[in-house]
Amino acid sequence: MAKSRLVTGLGVVATAALLTTGCTANAPAPSASAAKPAELKMLYTTDEANSAAVASLIPQFKEKFGIDLKIDNQPYDALQQKVFSEFASGSSYYDVVVVDTPWAPALVQNLEPLSPYLQNKDLNPASAESNVGDFVPKVFYDTAVYNAESPVKRYADETAKPDVSAIKNAGFDVYGLPIQSNVAVMAYRSDLFNDPQQQANFKAKYGKDLKVPTTWDEYAQAAEFFTQPDKNLFGTTVMAGVGDWATDDFKTLLASFGGDGTLVTQDLKLAFDSPEGVEALTYYSKLAQSGHVPPGSTSADWGTTAESFDSGLTAMTINYHDLKLGDNVKGGTIGYAPVPKAKAAGPHFGTWMLSVNKNSKNKEWAYQAISWLTAAEQQTTMTAKSLHPSRSSVYSSIKSDNPMAPFYATLGKSLEVGVGRARLTNYTEVSHEVAVAVNNAATGSASPQDALKTASGKVSTLLKSAGY
Amino acid sequence: MKSTAVVSDAGLQARPSRREHGHNPTVPRGGKRPSWKKRSAPWAYMAPSMIVLLLMTVAPAIFIFYSAFRNDKILGGAGRFVGLNNFIEAVTNASVRHAFLITFAFVAVAVILEMLLGFALALPLAAQTTANKVGAALMLLPFAVTPAVAAMIFKQLLNPNYGWVGYYLGYLGFPRGIDLLGDPTSAWIVLIILDMWQWTPFIALILMAGLQSLPGEPREAALVDGATPWQMFRHITLPAMVPFIAIAAVLRTIQAFKTFDAFKILTGGGPGESTEIINLGIFRVGLQSFNVGLACALGVIFLIILSLLIPIMLRVIGRQSDPEEM
Repeated sequence: MAKSRLVTGLGVVATAALLTTGCTANAPAPSASAAKPAELKMLYTTDEANSAAVASLIPQFKEKFGIDLKIDNQPYDALQQKVFSEFASGSSYYDVVVVDTPWAPALVQNLEPLSPYLQNKDLNPASAESNVGDFVPKVFYDTAVYNAESPVKRYADETAKPDVSAIKNAGFDVYGLPIQSNVAVMAYRSDLFNDPQQQANFKAKYGKDLKVPTTWDEYAQAAEFFTQPDKNLFGTTVMAGVGDWATDDFKTLLASFGGDGTLVTQDLKLAFDSPEGVEALTYYSKLAQSGHVPPGSTSADWGTTAESFDSGLTAMTINYHDLKLGDNVKGGTIGYAPVPKAKAAGPHFGTWMLSVNKNSKNKEWAYQAISWLTAAEQQTTMTAKSLHPSRSSVYSSIKSDNPMAPFYATLGKSLEVGVGRARLTNYTEVSHEVAVAVNNAATGSASPQDALKTASGKVSTLLKSAGY
Repeated sequence: MKSTAVVSDAGLQARPSRREHGHNPTVPRGGKRPSWKKRSAPWAYMAPSMIVLLLMTVAPAIFIFYSAFRNDKILGGAGRFVGLNNFIEAVTNASVRHAFLITFAFVAVAVILEMLLGFALALPLAAQTTANKVGAALMLLPFAVTPAVAAMIFKQLLNPNYGWVGYYLGYLGFPRGIDLLGDPTSAWIVLIILDMWQWTPFIALILMAGLQSLPGEPREAALVDGATPWQMFRHITLPAMVPFIAIAAVLRTIQAFKTFDAFKILTGGGPGESTEIINLGIFRVGLQSFNVGLACALGVIFLIILSLLIPIMLRVIGRQSDPEEM
């Protein structure tokens, strides 16, 4: 009896020792000063940045680091208020905070600059500098690279392969690692585009082959062709309701028609009340009033346009995520393509990043957490939950037999040419004024010229009142 | 003449005598002054709640007044005193003036309609029958629904492509796929209807309770005198109900000024800026751009206007119930 107890006891000790070493054997080594916490706390969003994908990694994180990752999820508005109030109160409660690009200029001085961590070999055992060179360059520079003293500035070459030393030498730093890259992509009903009858009808009507639009003229024509209100089918969507979505639609067109899609340049010049802006908004308002978009498009947001497409109401749409046709759409299939262009490509994009709270008591561990969560291996795992990766290698690794491959291929291509937002501390208000202009033009209550002129005056006042 | 006398009695029952106003209730007539312990006991009982009230309402209010004169940023950087700059920025901004105006217009229209409809519902429901009790319980439902949920449901119902509202309006001759939220006039109608749907029961229940508490004798006397139903309503019921109407109107007005969810969810202030009420602006400036000084200045202006408006309203409505001022 005593012997069996001894054996059992030894077994328990041996198992515990094995488990302990097993848990920490592959964990990166932190500096001597960084005591290992029992838990890391992360403030994260909900569906906007695919919380389910990140949550799915919690067990692996625990296994890898021996630390519990506690994630608090908040919907967008509540999250923004929570993030700002955490920093305003100097709270150290959250070690990791998710940051959306419009907030970053105001928050950057409260985020931990990551270059010392990225350049610390002990903290990056898997790959030097967390392999930042693998991030899609435009995504990385638009999302995470800031000059904290002058957040409105942008890194000179946003297409260069990310390099921490070069970033430091240019007076910038890295303030987070990108995790969910949202960009405008076009979704279309491939079953309709591939239908021989539709192709023949199109040829008969326009004298040319039906193909997935690559220019805005082709896009408008395809929208016209597919619109059959008697069959409850419309060509495409616009999200012209007052909100950031309307601004984003306009930004995409503005960049595409040769303007500066950021709306306000880093020299604080207004870039939207311009001939290109008028051309872009004229196109948009014509489309909104053409009858080729579903009723209600002038009060639609990104959610309602997705619903319209998903329910089979439209043949095309432009949105920021993959779409799924409802069961009512018999035989429907979806294809993806970059948004059309006129003179250039410039789909609106914006990426969520994981940042380390400057007040955190576990900064090195928090850095390792975000480095691990945004690493290629973890991002690849999270694609099973529809995460939008931020690393080039993840896009390259997605196999063609993956049902999401067409979406990811388009997403990756679109990110490479995406255009972000102006880096302003009051971008939300600027965006609102532009959205009002877009909505007024789309409803026909103001001409594109007048709408943009009015918005321009208001944005100028906003910039002055924000101290620019 | 008879009805006036009846009204006076009802009015006197509803309000304390003016002679009592100067009387100190803590000193019994002809008795000696209570001890300090007895006099301070009520304050001791009230102290915990007063401390909570001070911390939760008075302290933030003081902070709002303080911040309204500063250019504090929520994140970093020392703020400074900027005098009336925030107030000047607020009142000289055309969008802000527009927002204040449409807020007042919305409150006026919604509250008046809700009062009328609420009274119309309360009159038949005041009789205490089983059916009325069921009716009153059902009436509780709309204002038991969270405003945000109500707005989301309305948004689905109003969807021009699959919403019920557009479908049935089609039978009435309206165009198919009508986008009620895409036009300023119809968007306002929808917002007011939603508000009425949600809050008319609140008015009706207050007025119903008021009607049930009215003494029966004046009505019986009027019936004996041969008064018509309209005369009874005009000269007996309505005057006696004025204090209840005042309470309902003031409470609802205060609530209506706080409306936010319906506008945020249904229109977001659009089309254009046509439904951009002041609360949406304060939300955006204060909680999305974190321009604390300007948001506080807007809040203070709003508070001052309301502080002036509500007593005036009470005075105007309340006077109608004062027999000496009729």
